[in-house]
Amino acid sequence: MTSGLSAALAIAKKDIVTQFRKKFEIFSMFLFALIAVIAFSFAVVSGGSVPAEVGSALLWVIIFFTGMFGFAPIFLSESETGTLRGLATAPIPAWSVYLGKVFYGFVLMGIVEVFLVPIISVLFGFSILNDPLLAFGTIAVGTLDLAAVGSMASALSMPSESKSTVFPLVYFPTATSGLMLLIELTKIVVLGSGAVVIGAGLTVLLIFDILLAHLIAMLTLSASVFHFALSP
Amino acid sequence: MSRNRLIILGITAAISLLYIYMTWIFAPPDVQLGEDVRIFFQHVAPALVAYGLFGGTLLCGIMYLWKGEMKYDIIGAVTIKLGLLFTTITLLTGMMWANAAWHSYWNWDPRETTTLILWIAYACILAYRASVSDRESRAQFGSIFGIVAFPMVLLSYLSIRIWDTLHPIVIEPTGLNMEVEHMMTLFVAMIAMTLIGLILVDLTYRIDLANEKLMRIRMERS
Repeated sequence: MTSGLSAALAIAKKDIVTQFRKKFEIFSMFLFALIAVIAFSFAVVSGGSVPAEVGSALLWVIIFFTGMFGFAPIFLSESETGTLRGLATAPIPAWSVYLGKVFYGFVLMGIVEVFLVPIISVLFGFSILNDPLLAFGTIAVGTLDLAAVGSMASALSMPSESKSTVFPLVYFPTATSGLMLLIELTKIVVLGSGAVVIGAGLTVLLIFDILLAHLIAMLTLSASVFHFALSP
Repeated sequence: MSRNRLIILGITAAISLLYIYMTWIFAPPDVQLGEDVRIFFQHVAPALVAYGLFGGTLLCGIMYLWKGEMKYDIIGAVTIKLGLLFTTITLLTGMMWANAAWHSYWNWDPRETTTLILWIAYACILAYRASVSDRESRAQFGSIFGIVAFPMVLLSYLSIRIWDTLHPIVIEPTGLNMEVEHMMTLFVAMIAMTLIGLILVDLTYRIDLANEKLMRIRMERS
């Protein structure tokens, strides 16, 4: 267990180091996000401002799309350079390879979000600091959830013939369920729990729990079937 | 066609006739919905069958990865196709009902949205499977995809409890929240739809199996 975890951390560290050597990828993800902000602004800005509930929802939509650039190469680059065989034959459990890639995706996306979230919240005019604890919890769990789905999607798109077309096909449908919950939670953070209509008898905590359950389900499902993705 | 299949087909036909009789003649008009209530059975029964079929995709995925037999993968693909068919019926009848009850075909109700996402997700699995040409990898990776897509089914089922919705919550912990006649009709509708679903699974499975064999023979010849 501990050796698997340390192997996962080693893989994540290796990927982060290689990522920092070729800085342009993080930067281009960030630029893509900014372009998305501008593109969405054409659709939603009316009278010089954006309704807070629309802006806070767009935050996640933009992160979701930016994930496409960050998560797609996670395994595709390994299979292109031929290092995947090395990972598959390494004397470590398959789930630690998956977990390492999830950590890497989380850190990569986290670095982009550190810059992105403040900029979007200023441009779209909403504040996530009404409930900092819930806001950071949501962002952390949400990013981990997207990274978990994205790594799996990247692994699944390896055997396909048209890899770049197929990645969104795998990533979008599996990530949308988490996205819906994330948008709901962020709306609650921005507008306050009284302003958002949620089902009777449901609390913010329960939605957060469902999100957490989604993350855990995704991680365990993917980790437990991952050795099948590495074997061929 | 074997004798057993014919018997099952006969039973299904009988129950389906009973189902038609019960939905259109037996079931009394609802207090609030009036005659519109008749679409309810055509809406709920396919929805539950579709959830069941997607559950079958999950099971077949697990079984394929566990046993490695190609038949599980073929059944898995069949359940996706038929699940899509039943989800389409659910969406269409839901839209008809929505137009009758809320005067608009589409209301972006959480359950409508999640069901549409469900449809898209499983259609994506089909498209994904088509993009993998190697048969073994298609089975293996398709099974994995079928497993990791399942949380969406749960979310679609739970969506009316998570979000404030126009959808009535019919199944409550204390029991079904409806009239006895409607309950009976829904029960018969469920049995009929499930049997129709199972027969379709059987037929499609045999067609796909034959196709698979044909492909293998062609590969060997060429």
